[in-house]
Amino acid sequence: MDEFIVEMRNITKRFPGIVANDDVSIAVKKGEVFALLGENGAGKSTLMSMLFGMYEPDEGEILVRGEKVKISSPAHATQLNIGMVHQHFKLVENYTITENIVLGQEPRSRFLGFLPAVDIKGSNKKIAELSKRYGLEVDPKKKIEDINVSTRQRVEILKMLYREAEILIFDEPTAVLTPQEIDFLLDIIRGLRDSGKTIILITHKLEEIKKVADRCAVLCRGKLVGVMDVATTSTKTMANMMVGREVSFGIDKNPANFGEEVLRVEKLTVKNQDGLSVVKNVSFSVRKGEIFAIAGVSGNGQTELADAVTGLLNSSGKVFLQGKDISGYDVRQRTLEGISYIPEDRQAVGLVLDFSLEENLALKEYFKEPFCKKGVLHSEAFDEQGERLVKEYDIRSGQGIKTIVRSMSGGNQQKAIIAREIELDSRLMIFVQPTRGLDIGAIENIHKQILALRDAGKAILLISLELDEIIGLADTIGVMYSGEMLNIAPAETLSTNQVGEYMMGVKAV
Amino acid sequence: MNTVIIDGLAFAIPLFIIAIGGIYSERSGVTNLALEGFLGFGAFFGAAAVMVLTGGNLAGIEIPMFFAALAFAMIGGALFAMLHALLCVPFKANQVISGVVINILATALTAFFTSQINTYLLGKPTNKFVLGICERFTVPVISKIPVLGAFFTDVYYFIPIIIVVALFMTYMLYKSRFGLRLRACGDNPHAVDAAGGNVSRTRFIAVMISGALSGLGGICFAYSISSSFSPSIYAGYGFLAIAALIFGNWKIGPTLAACLFFGFARSGGHQLTQTLSLPSAFQDVISILPYVLTLLLLVFFSSTNRAPRALGEIYDKGKR
Repeated sequence: MDEFIVEMRNITKRFPGIVANDDVSIAVKKGEVFALLGENGAGKSTLMSMLFGMYEPDEGEILVRGEKVKISSPAHATQLNIGMVHQHFKLVENYTITENIVLGQEPRSRFLGFLPAVDIKGSNKKIAELSKRYGLEVDPKKKIEDINVSTRQRVEILKMLYREAEILIFDEPTAVLTPQEIDFLLDIIRGLRDSGKTIILITHKLEEIKKVADRCAVLCRGKLVGVMDVATTSTKTMANMMVGREVSFGIDKNPANFGEEVLRVEKLTVKNQDGLSVVKNVSFSVRKGEIFAIAGVSGNGQTELADAVTGLLNSSGKVFLQGKDISGYDVRQRTLEGISYIPEDRQAVGLVLDFSLEENLALKEYFKEPFCKKGVLHSEAFDEQGERLVKEYDIRSGQGIKTIVRSMSGGNQQKAIIAREIELDSRLMIFVQPTRGLDIGAIENIHKQILALRDAGKAILLISLELDEIIGLADTIGVMYSGEMLNIAPAETLSTNQVGEYMMGVKAV
Repeated sequence: MNTVIIDGLAFAIPLFIIAIGGIYSERSGVTNLALEGFLGFGAFFGAAAVMVLTGGNLAGIEIPMFFAALAFAMIGGALFAMLHALLCVPFKANQVISGVVINILATALTAFFTSQINTYLLGKPTNKFVLGICERFTVPVISKIPVLGAFFTDVYYFIPIIIVVALFMTYMLYKSRFGLRLRACGDNPHAVDAAGGNVSRTRFIAVMISGALSGLGGICFAYSISSSFSPSIYAGYGFLAIAALIFGNWKIGPTLAACLFFGFARSGGHQLTQTLSLPSAFQDVISILPYVLTLLLLVFFSSTNRAPRALGEIYDKGKR
């Protein structure tokens, strides 16, 4: 029996209004990469949080190395050599990398020869060695606030290794990374497995599972659908199991039917805080019924371009909406003129996380009738619109329209934003990374919605880092590289490879 | 000039230790507006302990009783601070409200108990414990140096004591294991929890430390400014300490500078009214000077200031 290092038997966990795990049993072998696959809100993270001692199961038992254990806290899990990299990193921003790693298990030294103190110098050395041994290069003396997301993730991994974790849980580790960083992380995961660690990978991305996992358990709405060997199972089968229905990978598109010009951007330039131009002299236009997609590697000015068009960022140059110069308008004026915006960072820009769902759904209209009459808000109007949108867009949450948005899953948060923005019935819709961090089922729905909007005659500006998404949806493709728009061409004249080359800044094709 | 330095130091140093108390609490993530109440209750507890021990007759044993008063003030401050800790940490009450209420409570409680104890000991219900003035010393040779020497002239006994305590607290905050975890609690308590630390316990202890240090500062004010414990101890010094620590960006070094600045501005103002021999009405206006200066400087400096990230945030394990 003890070939399994971790066994979770008949686990059930309930939260108010929802059964997160319903009689789930999994068993993980020592030295394998075990993937947990499922849509957002399928209960993967909850299951692993119980293994890491953050919650206790309502029913069922957990066995580690063949022994029955009751894991009461993360500290207890650490003693059992279990480590976890959370989706939201748990790092102290104004501490150095070393301080973050040793926190909780600090090596001692003597200060002035007699006072017990934390041995920072010794730790720095130790961390440097550790990072070298596992190929996770970091500068131990750098502060967390000064390093990027992928380095922060490395710090989280080092934190587990420092604690001599044998069972490493990764919760959606690639959601925040760029494609290159993802490849690097998958290499790291393989390396860790080869050095004898057991890895549990929570994800909803099938390609990753195909690349690194040995076995895979599929969860759907809290229930275990099945466990399979990755090598012998097709991606399609896994996808169908995960969503619980047939998934189509291809995107069906009706022929385009362009109308008049809706958005025209002329010589737009955006400067960042340091005065450097991040968007340089960009001009383009989007017509009715057209999906204009901007491709590019992350950080080449796409987000800033969208922020400038919506008025969130100051810019020089001109923006016209259906012939009207709106360059001098502020954000609300532009919204009222007919711009909808689905921003990249939905939690920071798209939603007020501590407001309820119904309030978030009315964020762009609350000042208008029927929500507000003579300066007084009318809660019935909020309720009514909330209930209607929740039904129409299938937004799932614990307590309906009164749910605090923070507690909702990422996919449903995105659904709420999209519902709100479509409801504005704007002429121009701007989507930035609309499917980031979402699972296949949700992605499919969003793609369908975008195409439906296009067929209904909206002008759509789509910015995405996913090349497949761009190729699949776009009518016209523009590529941005270091702030410049390199090429604008009809989608059918470009191959995936050509777009890829433009994205790397190769001008001559 | 010398008086400005001597009096300024005598005010700045107790203020400094109270501010360190505030830093401990706030760096752990607990907003502390209760410093005023802590310092008052601590001073009361120290003074009351001395009164009860001696039966109200201090003659001849002032110095040992002075040390006893310091010790008891710290104990009293820490005990009283448990109330704030209890409300804010396990009961997750609003930290601002708790702080304000505790200040009011301290004023009322100490006034009541002072008159009760005095009725019992001395037979008259006064609201004052007369303690006398703390002894002073002058360092022989060094005190003769012009200007600098003033820092070593007529120094209250409590000043070196506070400096030693402050050095120890600085070491503890920046070098020790406890300090590392405490500061982490104020930035990202989830990180501490995930690393196996105990956020609630750390914060509870931090608030108690803040009470003990405030009590120490409070009893020193009682022994210097008023030579007694009376309700006049509640003169807003706790809030001035909060201003100092915010001014000092929640760091001990810059906070010392802020306290010295306040101390010298205060004694300088006094000196000014005396040299100009202004009527006492003007004295009140001039004594506002340090506060007005603070306001002006805050306008310029506050943009660079950064409070601990999780300050005032109630720690809830489930919240992402």
